[in-house]
Amino acid sequence: MRLLLVEDEPDLLRGLARTLREEGYAVDTAEDGETGFYKATNAEYDGIVLDAMLPEMDGWELLRRLRVTHRTPVLMLTARDSTNDRVRGLDLGADDYLVKPFDLPELLARVRALIRRGHQQPRPTLQIGEVEIDSKARIIRRAGTAVALTAREYALVEFLAMHRGEIITRTALYEHLLDENDDSLSNLLDVHVSNIRKKLGHDFIVTRRGHGYCIE
Amino acid sequence: MNLFRSIRWRFQLWYGLLLVLVLCGFGVTAYHLQSAQRVRQLDAELQRRLVVVSGALKGGGPRIPPPQRPGPPPRRFFRLSAEEAALFGEQGNRSYYYMVWLRNGPPLTRSTNAPADLLPPHPEEPSPRQRGPFREVFMNPEPMDCILVGCSTEAEEAELSVLKWRLIAAGATVLLLGLLGGWWLGAHALRPLGQIGAAARKIAEGNLAQRIPGEAAGGELKELVGVLNSTFARLEEAFAQQTRFTSDAAHELRTPVTVLLTEAQSVLNRERSPEEYRQCIETCQRAAQRMRRLIESLLQLARLDAHEADIAQVRFNFGAVCAECVELLQPLARERNVTLAAHLPAIECVGDPERLSQVVVNLVTNAIQHNRAGDEVQVTLMRENGSVVLLVADNGRGIPSDKLPHIFERFYRGDASRSRRTESGGLGLAIARAIVEAHHGEIGATSQIDQGTAMAVRLPAEGVLSVHQVHTVH
Repeated sequence: MRLLLVEDEPDLLRGLARTLREEGYAVDTAEDGETGFYKATNAEYDGIVLDAMLPEMDGWELLRRLRVTHRTPVLMLTARDSTNDRVRGLDLGADDYLVKPFDLPELLARVRALIRRGHQQPRPTLQIGEVEIDSKARIIRRAGTAVALTAREYALVEFLAMHRGEIITRTALYEHLLDENDDSLSNLLDVHVSNIRKKLGHDFIVTRRGHGYCIE
Repeated sequence: MNLFRSIRWRFQLWYGLLLVLVLCGFGVTAYHLQSAQRVRQLDAELQRRLVVVSGALKGGGPRIPPPQRPGPPPRRFFRLSAEEAALFGEQGNRSYYYMVWLRNGPPLTRSTNAPADLLPPHPEEPSPRQRGPFREVFMNPEPMDCILVGCSTEAEEAELSVLKWRLIAAGATVLLLGLLGGWWLGAHALRPLGQIGAAARKIAEGNLAQRIPGEAAGGELKELVGVLNSTFARLEEAFAQQTRFTSDAAHELRTPVTVLLTEAQSVLNRERSPEEYRQCIETCQRAAQRMRRLIESLLQLARLDAHEADIAQVRFNFGAVCAECVELLQPLARERNVTLAAHLPAIECVGDPERLSQVVVNLVTNAIQHNRAGDEVQVTLMRENGSVVLLVADNGRGIPSDKLPHIFERFYRGDASRSRRTESGGLGLAIARAIVEAHHGEIGATSQIDQGTAMAVRLPAEGVLSVHQVHTVH
């Protein structure tokens, strides 16, 4: 899952990006509204964490412009907690709203929910045959036993499972699983898929030659 | 409410008293005029009859008999024609009578209805006279003779008595109507006071948006309502400003707290390398420093607001103080690639050097931070008509004219969070203004887009005391 984090306070940006990356997300960052808007409209994100107070273009304006063309789920972060501000954010098309200061576990839970909603997948656990994906604990069980997957393997399975039945192109996988500074997956994608098949069963991921991958 | 009621009652009391006085004066005058009129009419009637009676007394010689003519004076007789006699006796509700005495003797003649105890009037007595319930006129055709015509005034008195009661009844009616009208008028005149009171009560209960309805009063009260409403508006504005300030301050504190929380929770999530822990603690320290600076700024503003800050009154070289500040800020300017130039002659000034140096630092820092690389900031000090003027001018981006009036407001941000990373978190210029105002000086700014901004501070050269003296002289 790929997230865009727009926050102008450098220390907060760094801390949040680190935490989100540790949670297995591919994270792009922007320190001002204009950069944020550029990135948000030029890449496929599974969610955007957006601070309301930003230089150049504030979060409200960014959200308003983004909503003209994009449906990317947005979680607004703001230091203002009056009802007016909240209503304004939600009315402008934010999907969720979190007031600073917040607790990290809450932010992470909201980001998970945001992504599930974005993929029309309201349940936190997915069952595919005998494979169970627990997106909260980030654990995959096969027939009730936990299977050890690397973070990248897990992200790949989770993304394909969220789009169960759809054929996902290699490009889409790059878009959603890699952040802007990472191109390591390109030649390793086949290696990851093969490793996942070893662990979760050969038929778990289907390859459509020339199209992409699919979990049926 | 009590006061209001008592004003109304007092108004009513005084009004009633005045009304009673006027009505009494009017009634008494009317009564007297009426009674005098009747007496005059009666006197005229009596006078007419007196002439008739004197004409009926016939015979006798000239008034003074010539002494050479002996013998008894010619006999005198009295005769009234029937027509003349009809003037006497019962006439409507009056009864006229007459009596004639000759030579101080017994009555020559009398009408039958003349009172029995009637005596000739004393020669000195003025005619007409009021004798008990009788009105009488008389004359002396000869010194010793007397003709008297009179009539009973009982009928007059009865009529005047009726008139008196009518006047009293009319007066009472008018008084009652007047009091009712006064009560209504009082209520009407005092209604705006009630409305003002109600509005003031609502404001006291915390509804600061309440105003006295404009149509509540006219004339003098309208002015009062206007003054009160504008006072209420200022009160509301001040209160709103205070609320905004508190919420802004809370908002400013939220960001560093968020950094602290996020950093701590994120790092505690798993085992970290010493380098990572070190970075985390550095981040936390930066956040805590920022909170400390903000708290210090807030406290400083609070003290300046409450006039608790001791503003020293020392004579010092402002030029040297400014030069020190500029020197202190050179590294920041170099870091931002901004040229910092100064023209600071040795000018003396009375005030608080430490606080005024903070003004210089805040203004210059602001100028450096809000400029592009390659811009220039000029700090100039000069003397002007007994004032010391400090100019901090730059040739930077400028401030839009709609934002210019607000830049000295607390937490005002020209563009979103650009000044978030400045030292005082949006309070630098507000603190500068508070300090300058504590010195009875003025601070202002002019700006042109892409031409630059100039901030000017004008201080009384002789300090606060001189201002007070000037004030007392005027």
